[in-house]
Amino acid sequence: MTAIATPPAGGSNLAPRPRSRARRIKSVVAAAVISITFLIALIPLVFLVGYVIQRGADVISSDFLTQDLPFVDRLPGGGMNPAIVGTLLITGAAALMAIPLGILGGIYLNEYGGKNPLARLIRFLAEVMTGVPSIVMGLFIYTLVVLNTKERTGFAGSLALACLMLPIIIRTTDQMLSLVPRELREGSYALGSRRARTIRTVVLPNAAAGIVSGALLAVARAAGETAPLLFTIGIVRETNTNLFKGQNTALSVQIFTNATSPFSVQQDRAWGAALTLIVIVFIFTILARLVTAFFSRRQAA
Amino acid sequence: MAAIAPPRENELPAPAPKGLGTGPRPPGRITDRLFRWLALASGLLVLAILALIAYTTTKNAWPWFSAEGLGIFKDNWDPAKGQYGAGAMIYGTFLVGVIALIIAVPISVGIALFVTEIAPRRMRKPIIYSVDLLAAIPSVVYGLWALAVLTQPLADIYSNISSATSGIPIIGDLTADPSPTGLSFMTAGIIVAIMIVPIITSITREVFATTPQPLKEATYGMGATRWEMIRGSVFPHSRGGLVSAVMIGLGRAIGETIAVALLIGSSQHISAHIFGPGDTLASIIANQFGESTGEQRAALIGMGVVLFVLTVLVGVMARGVVARYDRKSGATV
Amino acid sequence: MLRSFARRGAIVLAALALPVLLIGNAATAAPKTNKLASATLNGDGSTFQLGFNQVVIGAFKPVQKAVTINYQGNGSGTGRTDFVNGVVQFAGTDAPYKATDPQPPQPFLYFPTVVAPITVSYNLSSVSDLKLSSDTIAKIFQGQIKTWDDAAIKADNPKAKLPSTTITVVHRSDSSGTTANFTSFLTKASPSVWTLGTGSTVSWPAGTQGATGNSGVASLVKSTDGAVGYVDFSDANASDLTFASVKNSSGKFIKPSLVSASTAASGATVNADLTYDPINASGAASYPITSPTWILVYTTQTDAAKGAAIKAFLNFIYTDGQKLASSVDYAPLPKPLLKQALTQVRKIVVPAS
Repeated sequence: MTAIATPPAGGSNLAPRPRSRARRIKSVVAAAVISITFLIALIPLVFLVGYVIQRGADVISSDFLTQDLPFVDRLPGGGMNPAIVGTLLITGAAALMAIPLGILGGIYLNEYGGKNPLARLIRFLAEVMTGVPSIVMGLFIYTLVVLNTKERTGFAGSLALACLMLPIIIRTTDQMLSLVPRELREGSYALGSRRARTIRTVVLPNAAAGIVSGALLAVARAAGETAPLLFTIGIVRETNTNLFKGQNTALSVQIFTNATSPFSVQQDRAWGAALTLIVIVFIFTILARLVTAFFSRRQAA
Repeated sequence: MAAIAPPRENELPAPAPKGLGTGPRPPGRITDRLFRWLALASGLLVLAILALIAYTTTKNAWPWFSAEGLGIFKDNWDPAKGQYGAGAMIYGTFLVGVIALIIAVPISVGIALFVTEIAPRRMRKPIIYSVDLLAAIPSVVYGLWALAVLTQPLADIYSNISSATSGIPIIGDLTADPSPTGLSFMTAGIIVAIMIVPIITSITREVFATTPQPLKEATYGMGATRWEMIRGSVFPHSRGGLVSAVMIGLGRAIGETIAVALLIGSSQHISAHIFGPGDTLASIIANQFGESTGEQRAALIGMGVVLFVLTVLVGVMARGVVARYDRKSGATV
Repeated sequence: MLRSFARRGAIVLAALALPVLLIGNAATAAPKTNKLASATLNGDGSTFQLGFNQVVIGAFKPVQKAVTINYQGNGSGTGRTDFVNGVVQFAGTDAPYKATDPQPPQPFLYFPTVVAPITVSYNLSSVSDLKLSSDTIAKIFQGQIKTWDDAAIKADNPKAKLPSTTITVVHRSDSSGTTANFTSFLTKASPSVWTLGTGSTVSWPAGTQGATGNSGVASLVKSTDGAVGYVDFSDANASDLTFASVKNSSGKFIKPSLVSASTAASGATVNADLTYDPINASGAASYPITSPTWILVYTTQTDAAKGAAIKAFLNFIYTDGQKLASSVDYAPLPKPLLKQALTQVRKIVVPAS
């Protein structure tokens, strides 16, 4: 099911010769164009990552990663530890809330809901929400949570990020589950499995790669979001590991506030933070893919 | 034997006629029920959250809606004079979204095809990981990098294109008045395109990968070249999924906040000059919320609500287009 | 014998009294710093006062180790709203509450902290000492004056050699108190010429360029020949920009500096609640585009530790803090206003712990 079918060598014997050459050329040209698109996408990637490394690599040191934020941003010294810990905790909590709920919601939509009114309403709302700007989610949590609890906390930021991730995870899960062929489910039912078991043993493993991709992309995006956190988490100078008490800070917010300042010390710090964030997210993405690959290999074996 | 109706998509087969099914039942009845309730509860919770978001934002935006009525579509945003028409921002959001899609979709489809049809198996993982890396970059970094590195070269390019096309009827209007700083619809659109490529590619890749092998082999068997196979089997099979991917990408594009705020030039006037400054709903919220109070604040939240409506409209249109195409071609794949 | 006893007694008394007197003098000379109980103060608001707040918070920490103060610059509007809703213990704002804004539910106090000029920065290599009157500035930013050799600019600068370069106007994309104070100046000084109004957001004419933050404007001005924009003094200095001298209400062209900003603050009338408006203030040496800023605090504090911390912090701002202002390019308050502010600190009521 995963081998690429290649066209028989020399083209088909049934078609007349002249048309066949033109069609073959067209096919080769198309393949070349397709291959070039990948290179086109690589170009900004290489330049961007190169630029971030160029401006940020010198700033990163063990001090940078472990020390607290300096009191006065425009003076040198200090580090990004509060922001690193903040990003990990806030994004982690958001992922813990949004991923299970999103996947279960997607399962409901595709496996149980089908075309019934409830499922259609959820799909409609999820589609609507994917277009919401990240700042609106932040303002929503600001008005609903911050103004009522009368304090800014890391958890408020997690809620905002979770609201941002939820519609995307639901929709990609729904989409990936719908790609699983009907015959696989029917085979499982025919063998005597109930629906839950079918979902668990047949449907989910089949769609796992796509679902995990969708979830990872949602988490990666959330980790890099600034706007939802600006009004919900506040700021701190010292690392705060308690998401529910006290304000917090995150790498994305630090990048934004420091980069939009004219002091070169702050700009250096911003790019160091940017490089740190990209590395964290990338490592997380690779780890998650490795874990998924490991589990699906075990399943296949 | 009584006729049994064939099961519909994703449903359990119809219950067996009386007389059958008296044997032992499959195990795990309670687990099945529990899981079903769990899934349903999740669906309801999701519904509650999404509805709450829609309700709270609309409620906070109500002062704006009631004060302006249909005036929210006017092109006259001037808080210093008490004018709160969002027309220019609605236009700008569409324009940036369209530019981003025009650039991103061909590239994403290309990468997805490359991975699934052309590249050797061993290259798949590195390619997927590199595209993932594009997604790992925070949006604020995209904006800052573009400001530092892209805007000046782009400003020169815009100025050259503008003078080269100055006489031509429609295109000349589009390319007139380029911004000397490079901050424009086009610059914002280009960066947003790069940002949405990973998600569109990811979904499209999965969709293409599920094209049934027998279908592909049958197409080759009829004498198709690789490109003809792709056009004839992969694309028709993937239409629905492709639309879904594009919609999700568009959603991200019109919701992109910080990168657009840094690159669009913040000019709240409707203008056909794609190389000139403009503004979008998301970026004006980010730019102006911090200092806003009163009706301006309600208006900014209201622009979020307008974005909900816009996303729905585009989704409905897209599905309509696909449905009509399906009906015309008679495809049932 | 009584005499020698008295003499020895006097010496002993003196020996005992002297250290007591010395300690007593020391005690009244430097106020005894009580160690405050542990407290966290969260503040939000004006980005204009962010630089100053960071410096005083950093200097206050070693004095009161148990007090943590966090200040975020989300904008004066958000600061005022957060203060009304009790999300923060103190707020920073560049402007007082408008009558149409939601008002704080309890009595509160305005505490002015520092002032600083807003520069009109420009990029013209051939002109080192540009002078601009408010009418000229208004016409430039409204797009009515398009080149640097325009008659109006020549009238302000009779001796300068002005090139015919096109003027590129740079303004803020994001709403800001800097925009509000800059436009307030133009409205006050040139009411018949300036038509765009006053506010943290105004509708700039097409053809002008928007940039994010003071630093965005600064870098655009720096990199574009013939550009002009308005930038906070602190950020303009950091970006090494050239400033124009602006004509004040007495008709003199004044360069932006900490001294001219303080002079403007002294020339303004101060209200009973310590709000005041130094924009276009009287005084021959006043810089007319001077920005004030305040910290908002509720008069009656509900938490003993936090209330004591706020009082101590404000006292610190008005003693050691004022000396730190110039190190980050802010001007301290004029002495009379400083005295009034210190007196107002005593009005804050802290519950007994």
